[in-house]
Amino acid sequence: MPLVSVPKLTFAQKLKRFFMIDLLKGLGVTLKFNVGALTDKDAVAGKGIYTEQYPKVRPDVAPRFHGAPRLNMDPETHETLCIACNLCALACPEDCIDVIPMDVEVVVAGKPRRKKVLDEFIFDTSRCMFCALCQEACPTYCLELTQDFELATYSRAGFVWNREMLEQGRETVKYEA
Amino acid sequence: MALLAPLNLIDSLLLKFFSEQTVNYVIWPFIQIGAVVTITALWVAYATYLERKISAFIQARLGPMRVGPWGLLQPIADGLKLLVKEDFIPENADRWVFFVAPYIAVVAAFIVMAVVPFGPDWAVITDVNIGVLFVLAVSSVGVLALILAGWSSNSKYALLGALRSSAQMVSYEVSMGLAIIGALMFARTLSLSGIVASQQSDSIWFFVYQPIGFIIFLISGIAENNRAPFDLAEAESELVAGFHTEYSGFRWSLFFMAEYAAMVVVTAVATTLYLGGWYFPFVYRFTEAKGFHNAYVVVSLIVFLAKAGLLLYLYFWLRWTLPRFRYDQLMDLGWKWLLPASLINIVVTAIAVVVLQGLNESGIHTIDSIAGGLNLTPSGKVIAILFGFGNLLLSAVILSLINWRSRDFNLKKQRRQIRLVDLPKGRAAVKPVSEEPELSKV
Repeated sequence: MPLVSVPKLTFAQKLKRFFMIDLLKGLGVTLKFNVGALTDKDAVAGKGIYTEQYPKVRPDVAPRFHGAPRLNMDPETHETLCIACNLCALACPEDCIDVIPMDVEVVVAGKPRRKKVLDEFIFDTSRCMFCALCQEACPTYCLELTQDFELATYSRAGFVWNREMLEQGRETVKYEA
Repeated sequence: MALLAPLNLIDSLLLKFFSEQTVNYVIWPFIQIGAVVTITALWVAYATYLERKISAFIQARLGPMRVGPWGLLQPIADGLKLLVKEDFIPENADRWVFFVAPYIAVVAAFIVMAVVPFGPDWAVITDVNIGVLFVLAVSSVGVLALILAGWSSNSKYALLGALRSSAQMVSYEVSMGLAIIGALMFARTLSLSGIVASQQSDSIWFFVYQPIGFIIFLISGIAENNRAPFDLAEAESELVAGFHTEYSGFRWSLFFMAEYAAMVVVTAVATTLYLGGWYFPFVYRFTEAKGFHNAYVVVSLIVFLAKAGLLLYLYFWLRWTLPRFRYDQLMDLGWKWLLPASLINIVVTAIAVVVLQGLNESGIHTIDSIAGGLNLTPSGKVIAILFGFGNLLLSAVILSLINWRSRDFNLKKQRRQIRLVDLPKGRAAVKPVSEEPELSKV
């Protein structure tokens, strides 16, 4: 019958076991963390507290993090920067962007002309994989993926963002720090 | 102490309505009992907070932070929640026993507070001259509560937890009771206040005379309280919650209170026996000797609470460091290590006392007086300390000799050894199993 062979302990190992050196080492480790948590709140040298007080304190996301999309506006005129060129929709690998343009009558140099402007912009965040290819394709720096990460909604329909949501951003509850 | 002036006012006010005897032996004890019970109940609530905070810090977390500043109101929210929860009684449970068990647990844990000397003079409810016996006797009633709770729940987890805890508590009670005896040989009294007084008059903590007794007492105390790493009675990963699996709401919280109160009891007794109780060097000289009696009591009280607090931190610290023992390891530790060690301790301490007396009679001055505890001269103290720490080495040697041939529980190995008995050499211990034994018969 095969037996599990346990290697015989050397004398040093026996002494170590008898005086419970490993136990004391473990106690040392936990004490180090306890003292570290009380003295050092900034998680320096791996002994402080790592917990983030999330809704109260906004966590820092990575600088290259891609989150909620946004349609930027001209800061002076507050008109959209989008020229309805449809390049973002073409660049999107997931096909989650719909740009709906419309024609408006404008007078250019005394002559009536038709101009293509943005009517509606549909962005399906449930299909988006946040690759930011649309952001790179945009010639006017209008479409941008921000660092906002709170995208959860109560229904599937809530994932589909229209132009108003993209321009204003979603309403989130802000907590006091 | 201006703060304590109202005490004398109340005293004179009470004396107008009642006789002096009634005030001294009925009313003041009731006030003390009220204070102790209130403070202990509050402590139990905040011990949960402390436990959660310390466990969080050890694991680099923050712990409760939402209710109140730094989560300080969390225990109150928890208490309210437990009060309004449904009081669930399982089907086919022994209702009467099920109701009574938590109360037995709480009463057994709280009643020990009556004899614990929190400080000198008015900081102790009553000084029983068999204090240590009282503590041991009453705190072991707590085992009964666990057994009743496990039995009456009509649940396999609860019953298994109760069985384990009763076996565990009974076996650790032995070494706990024996470990105390060494300290009692120096104190020469069973009164807890008397033990502190003897340490004060000797101006030493018995910890230095009895290092091994202190260690044994602490380990057995932790095992008595069913705290990690000895929490086999409620082993979450095996028994759901052990003996209180079927309890909910306030009855469950009573068990919880009992556990934390029992922790306070064990730390208080350990402090009294080994860490000098409320005695701290120089406190007497700077307060009582200068006429500040109440200041002396308050400072001593703080000293006592600080010492007990340190030991309580040890409880939390151990819980969040060590994994749980296996059941056979637990019994090994209790019967093969702690019990022999406590017996060796008794023998060595007895020898030490006899040697000290013999030296005293043969001319070397070792014993000052023997009236209030064994008061030793400096040379006698050195001899006693040498015996105490020599005992550590001696116990190490004897324990390793006792356990030299003892092995861990190994069922496979045992089975093999049973088969090997009475077999002539040269034959295989196990018959090779033929391919199709049933078919060959046909």
